[in-house]
Amino acid sequence: MTIPFTHILFLAILLFAMGAACAMTRKNLFMILIGVEVMLNAAGIAFVAAAMRWQDMNGQIMALFVMTVAAAEIAVALALIVCIQRRTRYTNVDHCSMLKG
Amino acid sequence: MKPVLFLLISFPLLSALILALIGRCLSRRTVETIACTAVVAAFVLALTAFLLSGQKVQSLTLAQWFSAGSFQVDMDIYYDPLAAIMALMVTFVSSLVHIYSVAYMRREGGYVRYFCFLNLFVFAMLVIVTAGNLVFLYLGWETVGLCSYALIGFWYEKPEAANASAKAFVVTRLGDVAFGIAIALCWINLGHLSVSGINDSAASLDSQAAGIIGFLLLLAAIGKSAQLPLAVWLPDAMAGPTPVSALIHAATMVTAGVYLLMRFFPVIQGSPLVMALIACIGVITICFGALAALVQKDIKRILAYSTISQVGYMFLAVGAGDLAGSLFHLISHAFFKSLLFLAAGCVIHALHEEQDIFRMGGLRQKLPQLFWLFLAGTAALGAFPLTSGFFSKDRILLAVFLQPQAIYKVLWTIAAMAAVITPLYAFRLFFVVFFGQPHADRSQAPAPAPVSHPSVPNLMTWALWPLAVLSLFAGFLNLPVNWAGNEWLTHYLAMLPGAARELHASPEMESTMQLGSALITIVMVIFAWIFYGSRIQPSECNDETFQKKLHTLFLNGFYLDQFYQTWIIAPYRKTAEFLWHKVDAGWVDAGLDQSARSFLTLAERLRLWTTGRVSQYVSMMVTGFTLILCSLTVTWWYLQI
Repeated sequence: MTIPFTHILFLAILLFAMGAACAMTRKNLFMILIGVEVMLNAAGIAFVAAAMRWQDMNGQIMALFVMTVAAAEIAVALALIVCIQRRTRYTNVDHCSMLKG
Repeated sequence: MKPVLFLLISFPLLSALILALIGRCLSRRTVETIACTAVVAAFVLALTAFLLSGQKVQSLTLAQWFSAGSFQVDMDIYYDPLAAIMALMVTFVSSLVHIYSVAYMRREGGYVRYFCFLNLFVFAMLVIVTAGNLVFLYLGWETVGLCSYALIGFWYEKPEAANASAKAFVVTRLGDVAFGIAIALCWINLGHLSVSGINDSAASLDSQAAGIIGFLLLLAAIGKSAQLPLAVWLPDAMAGPTPVSALIHAATMVTAGVYLLMRFFPVIQGSPLVMALIACIGVITICFGALAALVQKDIKRILAYSTISQVGYMFLAVGAGDLAGSLFHLISHAFFKSLLFLAAGCVIHALHEEQDIFRMGGLRQKLPQLFWLFLAGTAALGAFPLTSGFFSKDRILLAVFLQPQAIYKVLWTIAAMAAVITPLYAFRLFFVVFFGQPHADRSQAPAPAPVSHPSVPNLMTWALWPLAVLSLFAGFLNLPVNWAGNEWLTHYLAMLPGAARELHASPEMESTMQLGSALITIVMVIFAWIFYGSRIQPSECNDETFQKKLHTLFLNGFYLDQFYQTWIIAPYRKTAEFLWHKVDAGWVDAGLDQSARSFLTLAERLRLWTTGRVSQYVSMMVTGFTLILCSLTVTWWYLQI
């Protein structure tokens, strides 16, 4: 049996909202990063679902792109976190406030 | 002919360039030799050109200057009898002044600068005289102004010299602006700028256009020739070295205005109103200069006011349409006034820079040679019978009298009365300086003027003899018919477009007028002798208030300077200060400051958004994106329906 398209979309929305909430509320840099990853994967799920719904391979290709971007992003982000940790001795995002107005 | 004219102009320019570029590397003797040689060579060339050309008119182009579209200006030369006479006079006086300057400036430091500008002046004056089109003439016109500025301010450390040079420059600039407009109007109305072209087609101008162009040319001439109401710069210009006063401010540059009017006489002739205006300005200036000269105490200021007055006669002659008479007086005035200035320079030099005539006195025994030279100049200035000034001034008065219009009769009366004053102030100067005793109030002055053995370098007095001879005998250039003369100058100028003609006066009338003016002159000389000759003359009268007031009025040049100070300079200064303090500082600057401050306040508010909390940034971003997407969705949805 096939899962209805709307169900998958609801799953994606749910995941995206949870990721966004995580990115917005958490102070720990790692947790923010995880939130961003969740949001990206929610988008990937939506793409795959759309590909199945319309029988179009472009959606799957986009999902592959999203995964690639996520990998690249996590590599840069982890390097940045290491950098920040070395400078401020914390991985808490509230300590990164040098550009405060 | 072309090489002669080309070299005539380029010799002084070349010398000025050499002195400007490498003059400081050369010895003093070399600098003086270069400067004098160039000018004397120019004189020889002017003489050659004069002898070669006869009465022919030479029109030639030396070089292309510039062109813009159909508008093309070349370095044209227009050499006619008028230019020939002027070039001859300019180079002759310049040569003598250069030679005189060698002695006069022998102790001054800035001799390279001095001779450089003096040479440049001769070049520019020759450009004015021989220019074949208006733009080239304007080049010379501006350059003489520049040289005049630089030479009046030769002792630029002295504030009065610096101020006088700036004043002369600014006041003559007023006339130059009018000249610039006149050039543009000539181009618009006539379509060409060449001297011959303008004069040939002047008849086709309607009287209104001719009047406007003529009026603008008159303004230019008034500025350059120090006529009323722009006469104020000339007395102050005496702050420069005396040879400069002799050359620029007596013989040549101040007569450039008269020359301009003579050059474009056909245009001026097109408007009788402008002609009458020229004559009126001339007459008023004659009276102004003569009365002011009557009471001055500074020897150079007397001569300066007398120059203003004498140039007024030339204007009057142009206004009466008598070009030959105007040029005749111009030439004789150039000789006797440069003689007087140079002789005055000798006197000042001998008395160690003393310029007050009432502190001189009794120089007849001490400077006998100068006494005779000065006498020649004074006699010519005072129109003593048989001197050059006598013939030239009479010719002008006769020409004015013969004009049919009623206004010229009035002008003749005034000019004749002013001619009574001329010998009075001329001989007052002469008697006070060379006779009598030095003025008594020497005790209050720190340095007594007369020195025991006043001495003048020989070179300086030698340079004066040719001028003295010409002052006395230049009348033969245009000896009237009733003196068995043939009016050579009038015939020589007969080719000139305009009014070069014989006066057609009956010999009886001519003789009567000459006799009358001779008698008046002699009477006035006697008067001057009675007033100033023998006894010590107090320099100011004490009792009568009216006389004293009149004296102060004349002494201050009719308060013309104060008039400009009160009515033009002070309001201008007030306006400028208003614009500076109120408009610029008050509105423009303050407005900018205010807007900058408001941006600063805005920025202070905006920076509160940057809290430094990353979670807030992210929230804002998410909210923003959500809003954008929502609005896009809603729009899309509406479009679908």
